[in-house]
Amino acid sequence: MINDIRVGALIAYCSIKRGNKKTLTFIVFVLSLIFLNLVFLPSMIGGLLGMFTGFIQDYPYGDIVIEPTDGNAYINNADNVLKKVRAVEGVRAATKRLDVGASINHKQKVVGVMITGMLPTEEYDVSRYPYIVSEGNFLSDLSRDEIIIGAIIAGTGHGSEIYDNLGEVRPGSFVDVTYSNGVKRNYKVKGIMEGTFEIVDLNALVHYKEIEDVYGLEGKEATSVVVRVTDQGTETRVRDKIREAGVNEQIFTWADKSESLIRQAMQSMGAIDIMSKIVSLIVGAALVLIITYINVMNRKKEIGILKAVGITPRSIVVSYAFLSTFYVLLGIFAGLILYFTLMLYFQANPVVFYETIEISPVIDHVLLVQSIVTMLTLSVIAGILPAWSVSRESILKAIWGQ
Amino acid sequence: MIVVKDLKRYYGIGETAVRALNGVSFEITKSEFVAIMGASGSGKTTLLRILALLDDATDGIYTIRGLEVSSLPEAERSFYRLTQVGYVFQDYALINEMSAAENVYVLSMMEGKSKKESYITALEALDKVGLKEKHDRVPGELSGGEKQRVAIARAIAKKPDIMFADEPCANLDTNNSKQVLDVFKELNEKYGQTIIMVTHEPWHVEYVSRVITLEDGIVISDENRQNNKISPK
Ligand SMILES: Nc1ncnc2c1ncn2[C@@H]1O[C@H](COP(=O)(O)OP(=O)(O)OP(=O)(O)O)[C@@H](O)[C@H]1O
Ligand SMILES: [Mg+2]
Repeated sequence: MINDIRVGALIAYCSIKRGNKKTLTFIVFVLSLIFLNLVFLPSMIGGLLGMFTGFIQDYPYGDIVIEPTDGNAYINNADNVLKKVRAVEGVRAATKRLDVGASINHKQKVVGVMITGMLPTEEYDVSRYPYIVSEGNFLSDLSRDEIIIGAIIAGTGHGSEIYDNLGEVRPGSFVDVTYSNGVKRNYKVKGIMEGTFEIVDLNALVHYKEIEDVYGLEGKEATSVVVRVTDQGTETRVRDKIREAGVNEQIFTWADKSESLIRQAMQSMGAIDIMSKIVSLIVGAALVLIITYINVMNRKKEIGILKAVGITPRSIVVSYAFLSTFYVLLGIFAGLILYFTLMLYFQANPVVFYETIEISPVIDHVLLVQSIVTMLTLSVIAGILPAWSVSRESILKAIWGQ
Repeated sequence: MIVVKDLKRYYGIGETAVRALNGVSFEITKSEFVAIMGASGSGKTTLLRILALLDDATDGIYTIRGLEVSSLPEAERSFYRLTQVGYVFQDYALINEMSAAENVYVLSMMEGKSKKESYITALEALDKVGLKEKHDRVPGELSGGEKQRVAIARAIAKKPDIMFADEPCANLDTNNSKQVLDVFKELNEKYGQTIIMVTHEPWHVEYVSRVITLEDGIVISDENRQNNKISPK
């Protein structure tokens, strides 16, 4: 076997060193495209999913969200919960919110919305709401008769044409809000927020105290407590610690939330992803098979000669294994260069959906390693098979076609 | 050394079968240089391929040094081809991507010799055919006669019991043919190499010690030549 390997290596080495460089370049080019095909779409899909989950973290749920136990409308001792949460190691910031239903009215136009009552100064550390005000300003601690309106309901955001909107609401406009308990308030629009995410742009924000006032709460209730962790990836651990710290409400990580929220989306994406992978693999393996097959057929006589002079069929198969490994390694290398070039390009120039949603691909190292390994294995098998079948043919047939 | 008894090789079966060899018998002793001659289609190539273990006889007995080789399993025949049998093809059959030395050396490596040893063996063999200087040229950079001499070097590097050659000069002009035949002759006389060569050029018999003539698959004459004086055509 050692001899087979040495001889196989020599044959492969000579055929690479003195073989046709154009053919080699072409084969490597095709292989690099196969590799790219294998990793590119999943990277885009990864980018899409990453963007969704990013939104979920940045707006409604943070890294960890605490919600009332089943059957309760509120977390009853929100400040107590906050105190416990803030004491947990690994928690960077936390705040409480009150989400309520309401309708907004402006010059005969009425739109149903969800209004979130929040503590403006605390939001700077917890969410991106303060940073996405495209016109006007974010709420301040003194904002008691002011409101922030999402761009879609304001009628200025992308996508507002497909939703009910208030027409021409600008900072400084006045709107009437009717809360779900019938209480009416008049607010001045302080700012328009645009997060290019429907859940955000269909929402409105007021001061926490406003909601307390309207609903007659006593300064302790909240519909959610939103938590951010110091290090991404520690959510699950921190969630368990919060539970250990004596918080008895429901605690979810963003992943728990996004799973139920976009499970549907994830599943169909995942299916596309897997299908595209399988198809690329089959196409890739077939191409490698064809390439080696043609290569082997062209060198059928040579294989016969090698056998006739006493080279074992096994060394011949080994030499093709070396050859395809070499081709595939070069192909993967070229593919990686292409891939990273494309990644750089698309990260600098994201693909734009619905005019505002920008998707940049995400480089997934596990995926890369997986693809490299799969490609190597498949290609080596696809490369060996034709060599194996020819090397078993009779010498007379291989050399003289008889 | 070689004993062939009633060797038969039919192509196809039944009434329409071509009887390429129809009962061939002879013995060849060590250090003979034998020419197999005969008209086209008389069965020379068929015989040689069987002797070189590239093909199987339909019937008959073939032994090398008393070992019945015709019935060996393929793996052992492969080993025999590698270690005991040298074969020179009409069209050289060199590997185009390998240099002269590599074409020879790959066989020594197959036998398990070290890289260095293999290289030395290859150079020795190339030296015997007068091509030591051109050891790093690829076949594309060699003349027909030179290519055939590399093929001979490949066949003799392993110091085979017998060397076979099927019309080794068919693609060569007279000059190159002479070079090749001189190499054969020298190998035969100097090193006692047993050679069995198929040819149909009458002037080639000047080089050999024995001529076996085939016709329609049987031996019609088998004569020793006493003094092989080389006379140009
Ligand atoms: N694969 C084959 N199938 C059928 N018949 C064959 C095959 N190979 C050879 N023959 C026949 O066997 C006979 C002997 O062929 P062979 O090649 O041994 O002749 P040869 O003496 O070498 O001729 P040449 O001088 O033309 O090379 C011929 O009649 C030939 O047609
Ligand atoms: Mg012939």
